Amino acid sequence: MNPDSLLLTPIFLPLLAASIVLTSKSFLPVKARRFSEYFGILIGLLMPIIFVLLLYPYVINQGSLFLVIGSYTPKIGIVYKFDSLSLVMIVLTNLLTLPAWIYSRTVGPSQSYFTALILIQSATIAAISMTNDIFNLFVCLEVMGLIAYVLISSKQEKNAVFAAFNYMMYSSSSMVFFLLGSFGLYRLTGSLSYQEITNALLNLSSKELNIALICLLLMIVPILLRVAIMPLSNWLVGAHSKAPHAVSALLSGILIKIPLFVLVRVFSISPILKNLTFPLAYIGSATALIGVIFALSQSDAKKLLAYHSISQIGYIITAWAMALNVGIDTTPGAILLIAALFHTFSHAIFKGLLFLSIGTATDAAESRDVYKIRGVNSILSQKGERFPITMICFLVGALSIMAIPPFNGFFSKTLLTYYLKPSINYTILSIAGVGTVASFIKLSRIFLPNKQIKEQTKEFSKEKFPFSIHLSLIILALLALLTGIFSQNIFELLENMFISTSKRPINKTIFFSQANIIKTLYTVLGGVLLFVIATSKVGSKVLHKLKGIKTDFTDQYFHFAITITLLSYFLFV
Amino acid sequence: MIIERVLIFLIFITGFIGLIGVKNIIKKIIGLSLLNSSIVLLFILEASRIGDHAPILVGQEKNIVDPVPQALMLTAIVIGVCVTSLSLAMAVRLYKTTGSLDITIIKERIENES
Amino acid sequence: MRKAKLLKVFLTIIIITLATFPIIMSNVSWPTFTRDYLFVNALNETGASNTVSSIYLGYRLMDTLGETLVLFVAITGTMSILLNLHKHELESVKTQSTLVPEKRVKNALRTNLVEVVASKLGPIILLFGLYVMLFGHISPGGGFQGGVIFASAIVFLVLATDVKTKITNSHVLERIEAISFISLILITTYVIFFPEGFFSTIDIGSSFLSAGIIILLNIIIGIKVGTSIAVMIIAMMGGKHDN
Repeated sequence: MNPDSLLLTPIFLPLLAASIVLTSKSFLPVKARRFSEYFGILIGLLMPIIFVLLLYPYVINQGSLFLVIGSYTPKIGIVYKFDSLSLVMIVLTNLLTLPAWIYSRTVGPSQSYFTALILIQSATIAAISMTNDIFNLFVCLEVMGLIAYVLISSKQEKNAVFAAFNYMMYSSSSMVFFLLGSFGLYRLTGSLSYQEITNALLNLSSKELNIALICLLLMIVPILLRVAIMPLSNWLVGAHSKAPHAVSALLSGILIKIPLFVLVRVFSISPILKNLTFPLAYIGSATALIGVIFALSQSDAKKLLAYHSISQIGYIITAWAMALNVGIDTTPGAILLIAALFHTFSHAIFKGLLFLSIGTATDAAESRDVYKIRGVNSILSQKGERFPITMICFLVGALSIMAIPPFNGFFSKTLLTYYLKPSINYTILSIAGVGTVASFIKLSRIFLPNKQIKEQTKEFSKEKFPFSIHLSLIILALLALLTGIFSQNIFELLENMFISTSKRPINKTIFFSQANIIKTLYTVLGGVLLFVIATSKVGSKVLHKLKGIKTDFTDQYFHFAITITLLSYFLFV
Repeated sequence: MIIERVLIFLIFITGFIGLIGVKNIIKKIIGLSLLNSSIVLLFILEASRIGDHAPILVGQEKNIVDPVPQALMLTAIVIGVCVTSLSLAMAVRLYKTTGSLDITIIKERIENES
Repeated sequence: MRKAKLLKVFLTIIIITLATFPIIMSNVSWPTFTRDYLFVNALNETGASNTVSSIYLGYRLMDTLGETLVLFVAITGTMSILLNLHKHELESVKTQSTLVPEKRVKNALRTNLVEVVASKLGPIILLFGLYVMLFGHISPGGGFQGGVIFASAIVFLVLATDVKTKITNSHVLERIEAISFISLILITTYVIFFPEGFFSTIDIGSSFLSAGIIILLNIIIGIKVGTSIAVMIIAMMGGKHDN
């Protein structure tokens, strides 16, 4: 098959599937609708994976495939570029949307418009990962954003609607700045595609170049807002913790990371943007540390997980920024990019797992306060769960995020931190790892048996526990385990795609070296110690103060302005 | 030329002040719309400076305006309308459930209940 | 506390001003390359003499597709929020919302002026909307503009209580919308995979059909936009959620 038409399948197959789902919704009876949804997921989410994997040999041989939509001249038409980054992003999205969708079948939102929306989302992410045109990027980001707002507010509770409203106002007003930036670039260069802009920037006078840089900055900050880097991450906690569980898993797992890898392309527009990568790496590791401290202070289980998303995105940003700093064409840069991608992948798996299992547990316990819920297992068994699959899956996710072998988090975090080693980022991220362990010990306590109502009558209710919950949890847990065990093979695949030399530069002995095992042990011990400190009187007082810090709507814009100031300082000075 | 740009800039800043400085959520939404419209105006206005005629190739007038920004802004306007409609629906919902349009009061009431 | 907040607002505005002012005020002359290229080639390459149409349905078709998706998503979200205000399930019941006269405020000071004028003007505006869609490739207009006019015509017909038509029934409108959505996706797929497809090879001469696929896209986008905006406005007007 022609690679050009293969390349567009991840965009058009999900759209086709979504339109089939919608048409059957308005014409067919309820049973046939269900069938059409399964059919839509099959052709919209699973088939593109196969088609995209067929492109793997082309990517290895040619590096990247270019396509002008409608075969017009590339100066005016929209250029799509498919490379290894797009391949990884599309496979990641489609693979991990599936468990969230399965989970949503019984827990909700289960209407057919939800299926249509996630199919459209998968198509949009495919388009984002390939587009080489700033205005097309704007449109795709807006589609992605609107889908996120609708999905968050689909729970119909007022706090979910408020979180969605807050996110929406913040994000879409920042997209206005993106539009202003693209206006400036079009005015200066007369073009919208990355390559043409890069070429045109070379011929500008220094005054014009400065304006172009401000424009680029105004485009980068809204994307960083979507990624939830630290001063810009206020929206995330509300949005991710109030959304329905399946949506939380989608948002934290996939949606916040896609824009980050889009930025790799935006950063390639001008070499001067490299000045930003070093400060971004530091902001990233600060995000990782501060996020984990805030996570430790939360009492709401899903808020705790949302802060962990911020913290983990900090890890990814650090590796990503350092990769750009070294240059992704060089071998060390490529390794760091691989580390960032692999951590994205494993974070998407274990955070999805955690959100879904904690969601199940808190729904059963009808409370989200980690200090109050105890004995989730017995509550779940009353609901008909024969075997504590939810707890086991939660533990898999928790061990994975704590970087304990043999789960995927261990491999990705080790790889990521090992290659950052001489810099101070390594130290900060290691400390953040200790905090992660402590906060997950805190969260795991909800599965402890409840001492007060131990003598409860142990009778199984007749109702069956929904199978789709277990299925999605088991899929994710198995993925977490398998990507851990076969991590070496995955590294080889990624090395083939990102590193042009035939050498295999990733040192595979780092994982089970003596130093690393000792480090893991120390991290766990430090985590336990930190947990003990945090539960002591002084610790809980400090954490309570931290929990009391609140930001309102206007503060967000203040943070937005501060980020612009900070980044422009590093860009121009 | 300068005065037009300054006026557009004033629309922009008015929208921004409405967005961040006013507590009423409906006024915030209006502010966002203004912000969006100012960029649309700017794009169309600046692009129209290179020509005198509408970009329709019927006669052979050579100096048409640049059509690309018009097509782009068509998209941007639709996106702006969509965002406005969705946020207005959310505002209706928030008003019905909390009984207020003031963002601080809404936030307080939601946090007190949960 | 209040002072600190005012200071924050002030600082934010200053910083935003500093960041955006140079871009808005910059005096660089506008690039003419695209304009010149389109002036020479747009008619040959796409067949539409309205270059705006040839851009958004030809050169930048992916943007338009994204735009339709934005519209679809926003309307889905708006509808699900608005309809659930009445505590009804979206899926379980057939959604059928028309504005019923009994629901209106009875004691309001009003005449029948709106109803009468709307019922007379509605069909004419409907026709005008279709005209704008059909002639979008040679005159100012196109699918989106025509669609919005189409939607306003439907709103007029909804207001006019004495008109008996099925086009104001949101259930019918949703069906039309779904069909136009699927055909839009199919046609864009076709256009993108086979840019030199059979639509452009038929030589119709220089009649108003010369733009081929662009006319078709304009009509379908117009119907999609028109029906979906009409459904949304009917829901916003407090359309009855019937079961």
